Amino acid sequence: MLRHILVTSNMAARGHVQDPNDRRLRPIYDYLDNGNNKMAIQQADKLLKKHKDLHCAKVLKAIGLQRTGKQDEAFSLAQEVATLEPTDDNSLQALTILYREMHRPELVTKLYEAAVKKVPLSEEYHSHLFMAYARVGEYKKMQQAGMALYKTVPKNPYYFWSVMSLVMQAISAQDDKLAQTMFLPLAERMVEKMVKEGKIEAEAEVQLYFMILERLGKYVEALDMVRGPLGEKLTSELQSRENKCMMMYQRLQLWPECNALSYKLLLKNPDEWQFYLSYFDSLFHLMDKSWSPPNEEEHCVEGPVQTTVAEAVKFVVDRMEEEDKKDSRPLRGPYMACLELIHRLRQRGCPDEEELGDPLELMLQFFGKFGDKPSCITDLKIYLHLLPPEQHTQFKNRLGDLVPLGEVGEDGFGFPGDTKVLQRHLCVCQLSRVLGLQHTLDTEGKLCLITELKAHYHYGLQFGKSCLKTELQFSDTYCLMVAHVYIDLWTETGDENMLWQCLGVLEEGLSYSPSNAQFKLLLLLLFCRLGAFQPVVDLYSSLDAKHVQHDTIGYLLTRYAGSLGQFAAASQSYNFSLRFFHSNQKDTSEYIIQAYKYGAFEKIPEFIAFRTRLNQSLHFAQVRTERMLLDLYTEADITSSLEESVKAMGLCPEEDDIPWDNMRDNRDLTVLFSWDPKDRELTEEHRRLSLEEESVWLKVRSLTLRLLASLALLGHAPSPRNSDKTNENGVSAKSSTLQTLLSQLDLTLQTAAQITEKQTQYPFLGPPSSRLASALSSGSCHCQASALQLSLTLQELETTGLDDSSELQTQICNSFKSLIVQLQELLSRCKGEVLEMKDSRLMTQPSLLETLVFFVETVCVVLWVASYSASVLRPLKSSLQKKKKKTKDSSTAMPVVLSGFQEWTGSLQGIVTQALDHVKGQEASLTALKLAALTLGVGHAQTQEECGFTRAAMDKVQTSYLGSLQELGDLLRKRADSLKSLKF
Amino acid sequence: MTTLRAFTCDDLFKFNNIQAVLNFLLQYGIPFYLQYLAHWPEYFIVAEAPGGELMGYIMGKAEGSVAREEWHGHVTALSVAPEFRRLGLAAKLMEMLEEISERKGGFFVDLFVRVSNQVAVNMYKQLGYSVYRTVIEYYSASNGEPDEDAYDMRKALSSDTEKKSIVPIPHPVRPEDIE
Repeated sequence: MLRHILVTSNMAARGHVQDPNDRRLRPIYDYLDNGNNKMAIQQADKLLKKHKDLHCAKVLKAIGLQRTGKQDEAFSLAQEVATLEPTDDNSLQALTILYREMHRPELVTKLYEAAVKKVPLSEEYHSHLFMAYARVGEYKKMQQAGMALYKTVPKNPYYFWSVMSLVMQAISAQDDKLAQTMFLPLAERMVEKMVKEGKIEAEAEVQLYFMILERLGKYVEALDMVRGPLGEKLTSELQSRENKCMMMYQRLQLWPECNALSYKLLLKNPDEWQFYLSYFDSLFHLMDKSWSPPNEEEHCVEGPVQTTVAEAVKFVVDRMEEEDKKDSRPLRGPYMACLELIHRLRQRGCPDEEELGDPLELMLQFFGKFGDKPSCITDLKIYLHLLPPEQHTQFKNRLGDLVPLGEVGEDGFGFPGDTKVLQRHLCVCQLSRVLGLQHTLDTEGKLCLITELKAHYHYGLQFGKSCLKTELQFSDTYCLMVAHVYIDLWTETGDENMLWQCLGVLEEGLSYSPSNAQFKLLLLLLFCRLGAFQPVVDLYSSLDAKHVQHDTIGYLLTRYAGSLGQFAAASQSYNFSLRFFHSNQKDTSEYIIQAYKYGAFEKIPEFIAFRTRLNQSLHFAQVRTERMLLDLYTEADITSSLEESVKAMGLCPEEDDIPWDNMRDNRDLTVLFSWDPKDRELTEEHRRLSLEEESVWLKVRSLTLRLLASLALLGHAPSPRNSDKTNENGVSAKSSTLQTLLSQLDLTLQTAAQITEKQTQYPFLGPPSSRLASALSSGSCHCQASALQLSLTLQELETTGLDDSSELQTQICNSFKSLIVQLQELLSRCKGEVLEMKDSRLMTQPSLLETLVFFVETVCVVLWVASYSASVLRPLKSSLQKKKKKTKDSSTAMPVVLSGFQEWTGSLQGIVTQALDHVKGQEASLTALKLAALTLGVGHAQTQEECGFTRAAMDKVQTSYLGSLQELGDLLRKRADSLKSLKF
Repeated sequence: MTTLRAFTCDDLFKFNNIQAVLNFLLQYGIPFYLQYLAHWPEYFIVAEAPGGELMGYIMGKAEGSVAREEWHGHVTALSVAPEFRRLGLAAKLMEMLEEISERKGGFFVDLFVRVSNQVAVNMYKQLGYSVYRTVIEYYSASNGEPDEDAYDMRKALSSDTEKKSIVPIPHPVRPEDIE
């Protein structure tokens, strides 16, 4: 609120005395706050007539102008005031707000630099100057501003702002040596000075000292400091001193201390997992070193140290016994620690594990205690490898014995009597899937399993009758498992009916449990794989993804958005993500400043790293690139020229804004639940390959985009024949950019070919493959590349002219012809039925749709090149005609390139028409497809209700295909229109 | 069995590992989280399972006048993922927030809860909280319309020896009347 400025500046600067100017300005502030910018401007004008020198009124007017879209006017008005170097609070703060809204935070620094010079004793202006530097990350200037502030007003926080700014210089230094030998030692000395003078006051100051020592690798000093009197100030965070000591013990490999402290902390809280880990780590390190405690002394400063497996076993067993004795709810920690210890002993080949018991019995015991908690599966999953494969079935059966199901009914199944038993039964099902017992079943076995799981699912729904819409059904997980088994069947047998039934069961699940995100995510994935993007839009928006999630799971949507020809929806989904990324920059700098104010120094590098992580996001770069490409494909040369479109996007072919070397893959590739056994899970190698593939595809796309920008600007170049030297240079610079980009594209396509040769298959629930493989196999990449290559040859012709260029002309004509062949081939790969009914089965070929999209994209590129060709050939032709008129020579034959071009545009027209006919044909056969005639449930009976859901899913797919075809047809028609203008 | 540690920005990237409503751990905008991290980092604690999954978190702050004996800890958000419920995690996180508030010399800890959320109200009662007052139309729906009343629940800390801070106020108050 702007009004707030007025109030606070009054309080700060003038106390309770009312400044008459404030009274005059107040209505303008009010108008601005209420969004009435017009009235604010009027009011400011009125005021300025009477009081010419009331600068703040000018700034407020500028804010009004800025907010009504008159940026230039606003800026020049603001600069009028800024050059006067104002020192009144109202103007300064209003200008600060204005510059921030203009995204010009660097101007605020200039403002306060001037103010500080004029009023050197103002604490307020000095501190505003510091914050202005903080906003733009000028660490060195912050360091100086902090010091200047401290000298003006010797308050500790200011001194430490300056110290922190040194740490930030160290963190941001390109050269780590500089950080280690200059910035950090200087920061250390600055703090030491305060320590010696006994001036350390706040916890934040101690935290900062610790940070500096840690970054310097001075762990011994850091440890001494934390243990000493300064450490006593570390009180806000729980166990702050203990945590810091532990960290230092680990860095210094002080295993006795580490062990003793972990032991102590575990006695206090036997559920703290991290301390079990440090306890075991340290124990084994000590054993490896055959460490023995010094005689007749305390073991170490932290107390007694444990050095033998026997002690560790006893410690863990004691913890479990304590839990067993308790009346209240037992903690999971000790029981899990027991399994962890077995795991570690086994890793070391240590025979003592037997003393802890048989893992199978221990896990059964764990299940007995915690089997009714939904977390039981997550816990046990980690230690299933302790069971030998031959025990798996036995384990599953013994678990089953611990689940008291009701009497077996007609269908052969017994059901749980309450939700606790249900949860136990569910856990057994999940475990048997994780153990791979479901995967080894044959088709018949899997279908029986589906029947069983479905029966449990439906039975369990009664427990959740009173659940709110926002709550999950207790039996939802059964439904999800049914879907997984269907997917197994589909991928193994290729039987698409399994997929349709899977969609049906998930849709049914969603109808009972409308907030279940896993249902939605899996449906979304399946529809995408089926090439049906329409239902995905609603599913994604019903997930109500928030900010960071647009980065972490946005890929599920954006991978398929454009590639399925749903351009409007694609544009919308790119925008979802982009809006978030763009707000990130602004959001974070505000809180970096707050962290300085509140002395949360350790959060400052964290906030900056957070901002960087988002700015360098793979998904951000992808969405940015795809968004611009999409705009070009759907609009350039339709609503405005290619050149205008490129300029409106601010695209510069020379600039590459993608951080190739620091790309962050923020995708959450395990967002979909999976209970697949380890050998089917997503591996680190999958992650690496997926990132590699996505990066190369992004490179292809971003080079295509820059090439198109380059092409657009070529078209703009005036003919070099009647131009002076500088122009000629300009043109050759542009063509050399084109040349460079083309060879980069060529190299990238070679790398791409190597990658697709690997034919990497990811787990079904893992990352989707990129479009790379189909882009290459369809031929669209190479066709686009040769079209762009042609533009370079045409450029050469433009310089050479029609005379003496017969070779060049033939070359161009050959390219024309070759492009037609390539397009023809690409189109032929689109032929086939995307959806058809065969023997009462519904079959899909979504790849045809993806290829059609590649075809349309390629047509766009070729037509832009055609349009550039026309712009090169037109002047050549008219000068030829002029020459003909002069010489009255009508016998000369038309140059090959001109006749070739005419022929080419004719063929292009032909191909586009063919494609349109194909799309029309597809639309017609899709519309004619009567899904209602399909008999469902053949073979494996689905209930009437389930069939209904399956049908609904089928309808969605059909409608979505039609939608895609319509959009593609519309775009092709528009492109066909643009072809007409190429005639000459 | 849980690792309890300070919340960091990177945790925002891990918040998807949840079955129910996808964003139930992410109710707020990024600025809101950053504000708490910048101002009260010690009050922002996350619980992590041995497999690395996020189980839940608590976020709070210290506020109020010391002179008027209103200095207290406030629970802004407490969330436990459905798959990690019924393990006593919420109670553990509340205990930690109370301990932090004790150290700061707070007189009490308070929180707001929807009057309809009987499960939560009962849980807080079990943890020693009592209804201090009702705040009328404290919650609003997404369209801005008033939606529901809140209970302001409190638990006295050791600084408040006579437990003055939790003596219930009989009349409901409006949101604008609470600081």
